[in-house]
Amino acid sequence: MNASAGLNVAGLDLALIPDRIQSEVQRAIQRSIKGVEYIASSGPSLGSTPKDILAARGTMNLYHYRPVADEIYRVPILIVMATTNRGYILDMVPGQSFIEFLLKRGYDVYMLDWSAPKPEEKSLRMEDYVLDFIPDCVRRVQLDSGETDVTVIGYCFGGVLSLLYGSIFNDGPMKNLICFTTPIDFREMKLFSNFSDRRYFDVDRLVDSIGNVPPEMILSSFEMLRPASRAASQVQLWENIWNDEYVKAYRMMDRWGTDTLPLAGEYFRAITKDLMWDNKLFNGTMSVGGRAADISRIKIPILHAVAEHDHIVPYDAARHLITKVGSTDKEEVILKGGHVSVVAGANAIKRLWPKLDSWLCERSI
Amino acid sequence: MADKANDPVAMWQNMIGEMEKGFNSFANQAMASPEFSKAVNQVGGVTAGAQKQLGDLMEKYLVGMNLPSRAQMVSMAERLQSIEGQLNEIKAMLNAMNSNAAASAGGYAGAPKPPRTKRPPSAAGEPK
Repeated sequence: MNASAGLNVAGLDLALIPDRIQSEVQRAIQRSIKGVEYIASSGPSLGSTPKDILAARGTMNLYHYRPVADEIYRVPILIVMATTNRGYILDMVPGQSFIEFLLKRGYDVYMLDWSAPKPEEKSLRMEDYVLDFIPDCVRRVQLDSGETDVTVIGYCFGGVLSLLYGSIFNDGPMKNLICFTTPIDFREMKLFSNFSDRRYFDVDRLVDSIGNVPPEMILSSFEMLRPASRAASQVQLWENIWNDEYVKAYRMMDRWGTDTLPLAGEYFRAITKDLMWDNKLFNGTMSVGGRAADISRIKIPILHAVAEHDHIVPYDAARHLITKVGSTDKEEVILKGGHVSVVAGANAIKRLWPKLDSWLCERSI
Repeated sequence: MADKANDPVAMWQNMIGEMEKGFNSFANQAMASPEFSKAVNQVGGVTAGAQKQLGDLMEKYLVGMNLPSRAQMVSMAERLQSIEGQLNEIKAMLNAMNSNAAASAGGYAGAPKPPRTKRPPSAAGEPK
């Protein structure tokens, strides 16, 4: 019997207290040293997978990632990013990059990423995104790859844009569609819906007076969904600042999370009126530039990945996507994680990415 | 090692987590009310208008002081981005022009594009 483990008060082994105190003192010292390092250093370099820019026009940037496999699948992938955030969430650092994963698995990857609209671009409309930027990128992908078929992957609002594109251009060339955490029933985004209550939220006055919607406003509306989380995450950072891996992951996510893009005024007006107020995508009455965008017209294979604990796009806002599309080859996967961690966190590496690969590889030949 | 339930550090971390959840849940309930929407939009509308006016005023002040304004700094950043973009385009063009010459020297542009012949592991008889 271990004599030192004898005295036990309320389940706490008193003999272990000196070790625990020593460990906490060491961590406190480390916190002070690492805290200074944290303030003095910049974060890890993100989005560094080698790529070439194929086109840049307005807010649109089309990148082609350099293939790394000796042999690639026939059908290229075009990733459509959400218009509020930067695409490097899918290309954090080697080992935690969705792009790198796809390249290693033998896919040819392109990304439509967005830049901030300039003040004079406040008049960019939904039509510009759905009927111009995405079709233009698809054409360029076809030209560059020499293939007619293209698989589209849309993240969050990038998924909404991809659905709109796919429902209007339903006779091709999109071969497969993969949506990550994509809302279609905007009534179920309850807090956003309440923030933009048509009785109190004068979107016309806002857009007419300020033009583009500033990133601070978008960021604060996201942060309001979990108002205590930023403060709690700072406390957790301080506790774990001795842990280099934790700090690296924190910095990556924090930098991306606060690197929000402004939204073009007219585009924001359309989102508010058509989607938030009239829920047209869900009701099947959506149109873009006078062209009907009913997602029941989408017949291609579709995979929708949703997150169990998504506070931005709750499951109820996303769950009707699969039932509403007209495809027969369709699947929804519900994965553990939140809105971001499901696509880019440690869980994504174990869950989403392999699932996507096994679904897509059969459909990429 | 001490039982996690009795470890003061674990208890502290757990308390922070529970407080965060509790506050978020409470705030979400409060924010779901129409009164909240009304109040926040009244304040937000006024703030946005005031910010715009303040921004315009500040712009005039900075011009008067012969200092760059935020709009000019943003414009400079955009120009830098545009220059970077053009550099990328020039790089891509140079790569394309040198593709044949670079073949022997290696490099991406010189490397032939991989064939689009890959088969899924199951079809190719490989383990997934």
